[in-house]
Amino acid sequence: MQKINRNVVLALLSLTSLVFLLFQLCYYKFYLSQKNGAAFSKVRGSQSGQDSTRWHVVRKFLGLISSHNIPVYLIDPLILGLVDKDIEQIRSSPDGPSPECKYFCAPRDFTTFALLDKTWKHEVDLFRTAEKMGFQWLKIINKDPRLDGMDDLSGMEIPLHYIFKLASHAIHLVVFYERSGNFLWHGPLRLKQHMDRKFVPFRKLHFGRYPGAYEKTELLLVSIDALKVQIPKNPSSFLEEVSHSRFLECRYREARAFFQLYSDDASLDAVEFRKKAKSLLHLAALTLNNLGVNFWLSSGTCLGWYRQCNIIPHSKDVDLGIFIRDYKADIIPAFQKAGLPLKHKFGKVEDSLELSFQREDDVKLDIFFFYEEDDHIWNGGTQAKSGKKFKYLFPKFTLCWTEFVELKVHVPCETLQYVEANYGPEWKVPVKTWDWKSSPFNVQDNGVWPIDEWDNVIQIY
Amino acid sequence: MEEWKPNPTVKPHKKRSWYLAWKYKLMNQRALRKLCQTGAVLFLLVTVIVNIKLILDTRRAAYEEEEESAQDYDDEMLNVEVPRHPVNNKKVLDVEVYSSRSKVYVAVDGTTVLEDEAREQGRGIHVIVLNQATGHVMAKRVFDTYSPHEDEAMVLFLNMVARGRILIFTIKDEGSFHLKETAKNVLKSLGSQVAPFLSWRDMWTFVGKKGGEVYGEKHAKSPALSTWGDPVLLKTEVHLTSVEDAECHWPDTELNRRRRRFCSKVEGYGSVCSCKDPTPIEFNPDPLKDNKVFDVPVAVIAGNRPNYLYRMLRSLLSAQGVNPQMITVFIDGYYEEPMDVVELFGLSGIQHTPISIKNARVSQHYKASLTATFNLFPDAKFAVVLEEDLDISVDFFSFLSQSIHLLAEDESLYCISAWNDQGYEHTAEDPSLLYRVETMPGLGWVLRKSLYKDELEPKWPTPEKLWDWDMWMRMPEQRKGRECIIPDISRSYHFGIVGLNMNGYFHEAYFKKHKFNTVPNVQLKNVESLRKDNYETEIHRLLGEAEVLDHSKNPCEDSFVPDTEGRVYVMFIRMEQEADFTTWTQLAKCLHIWDLDVRGNHKGLWRLFRKKNHFLVVGVPASPYSSKKPSSVTPIFMEPPAKEEGAVAVPAVAAAEQT
Repeated sequence: MQKINRNVVLALLSLTSLVFLLFQLCYYKFYLSQKNGAAFSKVRGSQSGQDSTRWHVVRKFLGLISSHNIPVYLIDPLILGLVDKDIEQIRSSPDGPSPECKYFCAPRDFTTFALLDKTWKHEVDLFRTAEKMGFQWLKIINKDPRLDGMDDLSGMEIPLHYIFKLASHAIHLVVFYERSGNFLWHGPLRLKQHMDRKFVPFRKLHFGRYPGAYEKTELLLVSIDALKVQIPKNPSSFLEEVSHSRFLECRYREARAFFQLYSDDASLDAVEFRKKAKSLLHLAALTLNNLGVNFWLSSGTCLGWYRQCNIIPHSKDVDLGIFIRDYKADIIPAFQKAGLPLKHKFGKVEDSLELSFQREDDVKLDIFFFYEEDDHIWNGGTQAKSGKKFKYLFPKFTLCWTEFVELKVHVPCETLQYVEANYGPEWKVPVKTWDWKSSPFNVQDNGVWPIDEWDNVIQIY
Repeated sequence: MEEWKPNPTVKPHKKRSWYLAWKYKLMNQRALRKLCQTGAVLFLLVTVIVNIKLILDTRRAAYEEEEESAQDYDDEMLNVEVPRHPVNNKKVLDVEVYSSRSKVYVAVDGTTVLEDEAREQGRGIHVIVLNQATGHVMAKRVFDTYSPHEDEAMVLFLNMVARGRILIFTIKDEGSFHLKETAKNVLKSLGSQVAPFLSWRDMWTFVGKKGGEVYGEKHAKSPALSTWGDPVLLKTEVHLTSVEDAECHWPDTELNRRRRRFCSKVEGYGSVCSCKDPTPIEFNPDPLKDNKVFDVPVAVIAGNRPNYLYRMLRSLLSAQGVNPQMITVFIDGYYEEPMDVVELFGLSGIQHTPISIKNARVSQHYKASLTATFNLFPDAKFAVVLEEDLDISVDFFSFLSQSIHLLAEDESLYCISAWNDQGYEHTAEDPSLLYRVETMPGLGWVLRKSLYKDELEPKWPTPEKLWDWDMWMRMPEQRKGRECIIPDISRSYHFGIVGLNMNGYFHEAYFKKHKFNTVPNVQLKNVESLRKDNYETEIHRLLGEAEVLDHSKNPCEDSFVPDTEGRVYVMFIRMEQEADFTTWTQLAKCLHIWDLDVRGNHKGLWRLFRKKNHFLVVGVPASPYSSKKPSSVTPIFMEPPAKEEGAVAVPAVAAAEQT
């Protein structure tokens, strides 16, 4: 019997080993193939069930900041997502909706709060109290981007992020700054060399991979899970913003280098043109934002932003791009109402649409509509006198926020590819004579409009 | 493995029979069975090894991934921190001090901390203060004791230096001509043997501890009036003390931490670093009720005059209604000491790499500062612009709070300024009175954001144009006929004596006697009358009630104005067209008010006080108020004096430059 048993055992063990080995190999392969997959972290973070540590840490943190009169508000996307579902209930019952811990007890490594810089005074005392309460804290500071565009100003570095850690939970406090263009900005989270990379699992943070731009938001004091916290008044629109918040800073250093090479045009004409173009851009942004139409800086205006952080004085017009899926018939009347009459309309919604608006004695506003294909994006051009069609091809891009002439506007995130597609590798060299039909690097002939469509696709006012 | 006994009841029956068959088959092949068993054991071992390896591999991969993703969060800039001064574990400092006619230098541990061989500059006694614990340079001064009164400044400075500090002295060129007895005694009390006998063109170096030992002294006598003493080089050693001994024992508070940091770095700020009774660095002035300028950013424009900045910030932070969070100090250049002062007061400071030279440098610094201010406070509609050499009146913010709505609402206004160019001790009287003037005084003023962003910033003079920013702002192309509101009694006081366009003589003549309001909470009178149209009504009312002075008398004489109080008088001067200021300039000269250019006029009308009476001057016929002139009165005409006298205004300091 003894021998039999040994054989049985050996055979069974071998079998399980084999199965296990296969499983491991599969898993290993799966894991390696998925480089940036979260598979691994999921495994570690998957303690299930309720976690009262988090609730206690949040409560302690709120106590800390209220004792120092620091007005923080909750921006944690996961919690706000839950809150948003119950928003009516939460709003209506000031003492909190349900007795059980619903929001602050889901086990997470972080809870994220925001702080508006101008609403508090940087105090060392806060951190001393925090330490006394048992918090470990980390402050991430960096250059002040509001001074970056300035000729060689160096201010004190500003705090961008704070992390307060207690037990197994951490509070991520994102500092928001007001920027010209009437929006809020938060910085990227970048660790300096001497910093503890393991202080918290940084890559799991919701904010800080990139800088972000947000609308100013009204706040609402609510009580959830027996904690009083401020949240954005409209959580769903805030959450919507989170996903498209990435912000690009203008390349001020390169712009300065550009102006050292090609000195800026400071003539009265240039000053006047810039002033007009700026106010036109402000008006266009206001009009399109009111309609809820997403747009971005295109062509020469985009080049001006990317190359010199300013409007190119010899560019003679302002160019915007809009995805054709965002097209609304209201656009034309809305501009007319804003005092910008339609100058011409080329193409149609299905093909090569382009609108131009112009006030008398003012700069022209060109709006190009962009059509998305599988592997590229294009917009069209039309020559009025010949009915010739042109096509301008761009690699695919997404939209990022930036600040331009005191305005928060979109630009393609992949700006270099966009600009290079349009202006070629020599985009850094200013060109004063420009022909929209032949100069662009990415222009293609696209046939001719059929004569019977001309009345529709070539409208000049 | 041997101990393990499978529970027979659990074994599936089927499996067992399969097993038995297999067993019987192999029953007689022990060797084969043994082989199988060994094979199985080996296989198991391999599995274990592979397993371990896999675990390690996945671990490493996970770790790497973590590293990799954390790289997103790495700062691309390497933070190379260069120690500012070699850290001294050493207890002894080598000090070298050199004194000669054309060059002085001081080296501490081989590092040159002072070197001056510029021609026609830096004459007198150079003083360096070192921290006795760290050896850091805490202050560097030069007192031109060849000229009068500089020795007094030196005594003041030396008295301010804390006990225990190391003092280094060296003379360049000449330092004894106006070195009076008091100063010599102070030097003697520091332990100098030579100081009491220092004479014309002697060379001298001295190193000693304040209130303590002398580390060395060297002296070279000048052999004759026309020659200098031989250069002297003093080499000596200074023993450092411990840090604790060098610091005061203030209670550990946030404020005192700032104070300690400041006091261990710099010297010459008097009682702020006093151990026993340090002067406060937080002032908490009364808040203003209904403060309309609480959210208005304040830009302080500074250069490298840290003592001025210190004085300025003290007065600013003591003004009622001040909001320290809105204050930003803009320092033109990477100077440490002004930044130390800013940090002492817990304010934020920004340094600016100098662009261009002289006036253009100042002008570029202004532009950068203003742009930065509106960037940092994007919500602001206005900015208060101050300079480092101004005292700020206690009711400065109260004055602005009461008047700022005018700047928001009245398009015809260019600025609000705290400074009245013509507001001297003898010509200003009423703290509640405001004027409208066509000139922009500067020296503490409020700028509208729209004016800056839409008009001034885009065409601000470029660095190669060596223009004064204020002169540029006063040009008609910029001002476009708009006016500034100013108080009768200034809310700022210009105390700077050294500066780009400033020297002692100039200051004495034009700034020293300026009136400065010290009354808190002044209620401004009739602010609404400052609006464009209301002001005309007001002026006409004033001219209507004004008594016409006797035009046969000399307007420069005191008797020109009767010995009354609180009356309104008017005089008429000749002013052929709008730009004819011949008579006004002469009048300003004899009244000892600002006469270098025309300031403080409103449509050919000047308003000031004489003998506590309101005194109006109307230029006829250019001024629209000329109609108020009685036909019997002939406007007074004063001729400019002959040329050589006219040149008096040019500062005459250069003459004393070289001995």
